Amino acid sequence: MSYHKPEKDFTLYGETFSSRFLLGTALYASPQLMRDSIIQSRCEIVTLGLRRQNPANRDGDAIWQYIQESGCRLLPNTAGCKSVKEAVTLAEMSREIFNTDWIKLEVVGDDYNLQPDPFGLVEASEMLIKKGFKVLPYCTDDLILCKRLLDVGCEVLMPWGAPIGTGQGLLNRYSLRTLRERIKDVPMIIDAGLGAPSQAAEAMEMGFDGILLNTAVAKAHNPPMMAEAFGDAIDAGRKAYKAGLMQKRQTASPSTPTIGQPFWHQQ
Amino acid sequence: MINQHPQTIAIAGAGLLGRLLAWQLQKAGIQVTLFEAGSFTPDTPQSNRAAAFTAAGMVAPLSEAVVSDADVYRMGIYALQQWPAWLAQLPATDTPLFFNNGSLVVAHQQDTSELDQFARELGFVLPNCTGYQQLNQQEIHQLEPDLHSHFHRGLFLADEGHVNNREFLRLLGDEIIATGMNVRAHTPVDVFPGKILTESGAEHFDLVIDCRGLGAKKQLRNLRGVRGETLHVETKEIQLQRPVRLMHPRYQLYVVPKPNHRFIIGATQIESEDRSPVTIQSSLELSSALYTLSPAFAEARIIEMDTNLRPAFMDNLPKVAVQDGLITVNGLFRHGYLLAPAVVENVLAHILNKPEPIFSAQLNSH
Repeated sequence: MSYHKPEKDFTLYGETFSSRFLLGTALYASPQLMRDSIIQSRCEIVTLGLRRQNPANRDGDAIWQYIQESGCRLLPNTAGCKSVKEAVTLAEMSREIFNTDWIKLEVVGDDYNLQPDPFGLVEASEMLIKKGFKVLPYCTDDLILCKRLLDVGCEVLMPWGAPIGTGQGLLNRYSLRTLRERIKDVPMIIDAGLGAPSQAAEAMEMGFDGILLNTAVAKAHNPPMMAEAFGDAIDAGRKAYKAGLMQKRQTASPSTPTIGQPFWHQQ
Repeated sequence: MINQHPQTIAIAGAGLLGRLLAWQLQKAGIQVTLFEAGSFTPDTPQSNRAAAFTAAGMVAPLSEAVVSDADVYRMGIYALQQWPAWLAQLPATDTPLFFNNGSLVVAHQQDTSELDQFARELGFVLPNCTGYQQLNQQEIHQLEPDLHSHFHRGLFLADEGHVNNREFLRLLGDEIIATGMNVRAHTPVDVFPGKILTESGAEHFDLVIDCRGLGAKKQLRNLRGVRGETLHVETKEIQLQRPVRLMHPRYQLYVVPKPNHRFIIGATQIESEDRSPVTIQSSLELSSALYTLSPAFAEARIIEMDTNLRPAFMDNLPKVAVQDGLITVNGLFRHGYLLAPAVVENVLAHILNKPEPIFSAQLNSH
């Protein structure tokens, strides 16, 4: 049997993907670098924001088309929306422009760290799901918030590792572990806050289903190379999770006499 | 590729590149016709004028190397020498046209990691660069006494300057008219090798140079516009000796001091071809950045808000494509004044059959 069989079990809203890496398209020094990074990441889903691009007039067409040419599934987001109404309106506009009912839902609660507004998020999710959207909510690691999002019909959760763009990694491992243990059968993607591939690998080892990030790649000196590094780390973390990590052991004090040393000398 | 020394040249587009090339080629004894779709002297925003009128005129090789690459830096260093040389060829004027006082990069206390990221990136792009210096609170105060005292850390970039760009464009326009050049304003054109097509028909030239910026979008695949918004304010309460760049996690804004107590704050960078007026979101970002640099800006008067589109290729780098009868120059992105000297001298070398056009590897190979 092959030990390295490529998985095909990452399913979001009925669609199956072989890459568990979702990449953002903002902040790159040029669109060319963005696209090279997408290619090197081997990702199959890219997110894009359109809040500031005058979408009603389709003024962002040039760049949207360029992103579309990557062949990835587009996951439009509502980055920059601070109210339920703004987010819902933008989601509807992006459904029309990109011909997709997938939406990465962001409702910004704090202007400086872009922390999600959990109350607005639940409300907007419910409205959008009723309108036929497939909502992928960017949320915090709060268990009750995640349950509420599932209650209103979300089939994917995207809890943060840390606030957007901070590169802090998994700030609250306890919460994230609780989430994974309590919500076992819903795909959960760690979205935002990761700065290093090792952090992505750790999240995957914990059993999270995928990773979404942007800044850590876009702000690297060599974004395509960093995209590849994250892709590798996500693969490694997933394999490690599937392979079953050993339990950590306490080896500071030996449990049995060390060979060649009389046991009465060992204290 | 340019076979013989051309006698007649048509230039399409009277933005920064079009004007500079027309001026230099006329001086070289070539008969130049300059076509411009809009006005030759556009005074108001929203008049579809070239990006060069909206720009702050920065020549900032180090700051821009951080967001592009070492080639942009090298072409920018060349610009710092070339601008004074060009400006010396214009008739004398009382208004200073070029400032070479370095620039200052600062960040608020909670955003100082942005300064570290900036310095780290400089180290990557230019490993042996000595052109910048870390500053403490006191050193910042010595350089710019009017800046808010709460900036504890900053960077001083010595090799940076800026062009007094609107005054320069006006003077260059006057100079072009004074040479008796055939300037055809309000004349949109299509360009072909050796041929210009206007509404009234075809005109033939030995060589055509396409400098239309976004006006060439139909012909140039992957050329796009990138929206930028600026704020112009006036106040006598504060003086800055040099451009100041404020680093923030989500935007980088600069304030460029201009003569007559004016300041340009710019510029947003939005992946959109929307030329409509400045948004509230952007005006808040621009004006709050300005206000946090010094509260004295609170009583400055807003005299203009401007929007324009930067013509850019997908790698955000300029290109000079040379074929028989047609040279296409485009994609200077946010680097008009930074890269125009390298680009213009490269084009001139092709036309005047100089042996090795400068920056050929950067501009001509694609």
